[in-house]
Amino acid sequence: MSWDITGIGAVACVGDNPYDIFDALCAGHSGLAPLRAFDPSKYRAWGAYEIDDRAVLGRDEPGRATRWLRVAVEQALADAGLDGASEIFPVLVGSMQRELRSAELWWRDNVPFELADLHFNATLHGEFGTTYGYTIASACAASLCALAMATDLIELELAETVVVAGTDSITESAFGGMDRIQNPTPKEVRPFDKARRGMLMGEGAVAVVLRRPDTHRGLAYAKVRGVSMNCDGLHPTAPDASSIARAIREAHQRGGVDAEDIDLVVAHGSGTQQNDAAEAFALVDVFARVAPPPLVTAIKCATGHTSGGSGLLSLVMAMLALRRGAVPPILGLTDPIEEIGNLRLVCGRPMVAEMATAQINAFGMGGINAVAVVEKVA
Amino acid sequence: MSTPTAVITGVGLVIPGLRGIDDLLEPPPEDPCGFDPTVELSGRSMRHKDPASRLALRAAGPALHDAGLLSDPLPGVKNRLAAALGQRVAVVVSTNFANLEKTCEFTEIIDQETVTGLSPARMPHTSNVTACWVAIEYGLCGPNITLCNGTTSGLDAVFWARNLVAVRRVDIAVVIGVEPDTMPVARLHRESGGESWLDGAVAVIVESSQHAGRRGAISRAVVGGYGRAADRAIAVAQTRADLQLVDLYLATQHRGVDGVEGSASNGVLTLDLTARFGRCSGALGVLQCAAGVARLDRGDARAVLAIAGSAVGSCDDEGDPSGAAALLLERSAPAPRGSADDG
Repeated sequence: MSWDITGIGAVACVGDNPYDIFDALCAGHSGLAPLRAFDPSKYRAWGAYEIDDRAVLGRDEPGRATRWLRVAVEQALADAGLDGASEIFPVLVGSMQRELRSAELWWRDNVPFELADLHFNATLHGEFGTTYGYTIASACAASLCALAMATDLIELELAETVVVAGTDSITESAFGGMDRIQNPTPKEVRPFDKARRGMLMGEGAVAVVLRRPDTHRGLAYAKVRGVSMNCDGLHPTAPDASSIARAIREAHQRGGVDAEDIDLVVAHGSGTQQNDAAEAFALVDVFARVAPPPLVTAIKCATGHTSGGSGLLSLVMAMLALRRGAVPPILGLTDPIEEIGNLRLVCGRPMVAEMATAQINAFGMGGINAVAVVEKVA
Repeated sequence: MSTPTAVITGVGLVIPGLRGIDDLLEPPPEDPCGFDPTVELSGRSMRHKDPASRLALRAAGPALHDAGLLSDPLPGVKNRLAAALGQRVAVVVSTNFANLEKTCEFTEIIDQETVTGLSPARMPHTSNVTACWVAIEYGLCGPNITLCNGTTSGLDAVFWARNLVAVRRVDIAVVIGVEPDTMPVARLHRESGGESWLDGAVAVIVESSQHAGRRGAISRAVVGGYGRAADRAIAVAQTRADLQLVDLYLATQHRGVDGVEGSASNGVLTLDLTARFGRCSGALGVLQCAAGVARLDRGDARAVLAIAGSAVGSCDDEGDPSGAAALLLERSAPAPRGSADDG
C-alpha cells in the first residue's frame, strides 16, 4: 500500500511557507541569529534559529508552537483543497516540547497557563473541528513517528485522510540543557563537516495532508511508500548505528524498494559529533554497494534543529526536491567527515538531478529512529 | 490475511498502598504489603532517573512478568527480552506531566545560576524520557511512542498499541500510563480546581492473539472498539459496543449533561477511579484498562467500557476540557492453545 501527500504547509525561520523555505535552502540562506528568546547572558551559546515573531522585542510570549501549528495545518488543508471541507480529519502532531515553553513562562513569570494548554487539542478542535487530535512527543523523531502512525490508521481503514504535523518552539530548559552538555559551544549547525561542534535549536511547524490514493482526484506531491519506527534501547543519548541501519532497511522493505532505488537521502544531520558519525556509518552500511550512491543533503544547517517537526520538514523539502529536480546544498559543509564514505554529500550549490525516490531520516533523544521513503508522482 | 486481534496478556501497577489490580475494584484493607514508593523506587536501576521514569519502570517490569515475558518482575541487569523478541515489542507511554518538573526546575536554575548551574548528569529530560528508559531497561526495540494529549491519552495509547499490533509492526506493545506528583504538577492542578491527584504508574501488555496463543499466554481481555469525539456519548457510540453486554463502566462521574449516565448505563455499575486516586490525567485510560482486566479476570463479566475525558469546553473533573475517548474491553473467547485465529 502507498499513501498520497496532497497538501503541504510549513513555517520556519527561513520562510513562512514550504516553497520559500525550499528556495531559501537552495539560495544558502540561514536563519541563525543572536539569541532573542531568552536573556543571552544566561547562556554560553550565542544564537539560535528562531522565528522572531514576538509582539515585544526580547520578551517571550506563550502559545507560539500552537500558533505555528495552526498556520501550517491551514496551509496544508488549503493546498489540498480541503479548507472549508465539512469532513473532519484526524490530526497527529509530533512535538518534542509541546507547549512546555508556555509552562516555563507560567512557572517562572506567572504568565497565565492551564493544564489543557500543554497539548494542542483545544486549538485543533476550535480551528479545524478536530475530534481525533493526538500529540506525539517522541522527541526529534516525533513527526515521522506521527506519519507512520497515520499510514497505519489509513491501512486499517480507520481513516481515509489524515493531517500529520509537527511543531516546536524553543524552551529554555531544552536549549539550556543542550548548551550545558555541548563543549565547545557550537557557533552554527554544520552537518557532516569535520569542524562540526554540535546542534543549535530552531523553531517552526510543518503539516501534510495524507490520503488514501483512491479517495481523491487531485494531484499528489508524492507517494509515501513506507515509514519505519524503532528504538535503540541502549543509551539515553548516544545513537546506535546498527539500530539506525535496521530502521533504514525496514523503511526500504516497507516501501518495497531496494537501496539502489534511493536517489536522495535527506539526513537527520543534526551536526553533533555522535549523530553524524552514527548516521554516516548506517548510511554507508546500507548503501555501500550501490553505484552510484544516493545524493545526501540535510536542512538543519539553515533551519536549525526544529525538534519534533524536523523529520516532516525534511520530508516536505525532499518532496519539493523530487518535483523540482534540484537538491539544496548542506550549508557550511566544506570538509566532509570520512565516515560518509563514497556517499555524495551535496555542498556548495544546489545539485540538479533527475530523481524518483527519496529517503528521510529522523532520530530522537533516547535512540528513537524513524525513516520514511517517498516517491515522486509521475 | 485478516487483521490480527489485539489482546491484553499482562498488567502491572505501582500506586501507593495497592497490592495489585484487584485493589482497583475494591479498596484493600490496611495492608502493609501495598506498594511503598519510599522503599521500592530506589536501587541501582533507579539512579539518575526522574520520578515518572522510576514509576514506569516499576510498573512495566511486573506487567512483562505477568505476561510471562520476563522471569523477574523487577528491573535488573539481566532482566531484558532477547533481541529478536525485543525488536518486535513497542513501548507506548501516556503522560502529560512526566517532564514538567525538570522543565520548570531547569528554567529556575538557569534564571538563578545561568546555564552553568545545570548538572550535565541529569540529561535528558525530554517528554519521551520515560518511554526510552523503559526501552533501555527491558530491551524493547520496536516503535517508541509517547502520547501527551490530555485526559484521553491513556485510552488513546491502548488504541495506538492495538494499531501497531493490527498492522503487524510488532507482536507486543507495552502500554504505560504514568503521572508523577511533583511541585509544578501540584500547582497546575490546584490552579484548575484539583484537590488530589495520582502519583503512580500502570502498564498493560497488548499482544496479537496469535502471538499470545503461540507462546501459550493467557488472553485476559480483547481490545475492542474505540471512539474519540467532542463528547462522551458520541465517543461511546463510536466503539460500537453492545451496551447490553457491558457489565462495568469505568468513567469519571462528571458534572456535565453528556455522557453515558442515564442514557446507557441503566443501573450498571460505574467505577470512577478518580474518586479514589484523584486526577489521573495521562494515566487514567491505562488504569481503567487495568481495572477492566481485573473485572474480566473474575470470569463473570462480558465486557467493560472505559470512558475518559469530557465534552469539549465542558467542566471536567480532570481540568482538561478537550474531548472524550471510549474503549471497549471484551472477554476473551476461550481458544484452544496454539490456535491461529488470524494467520
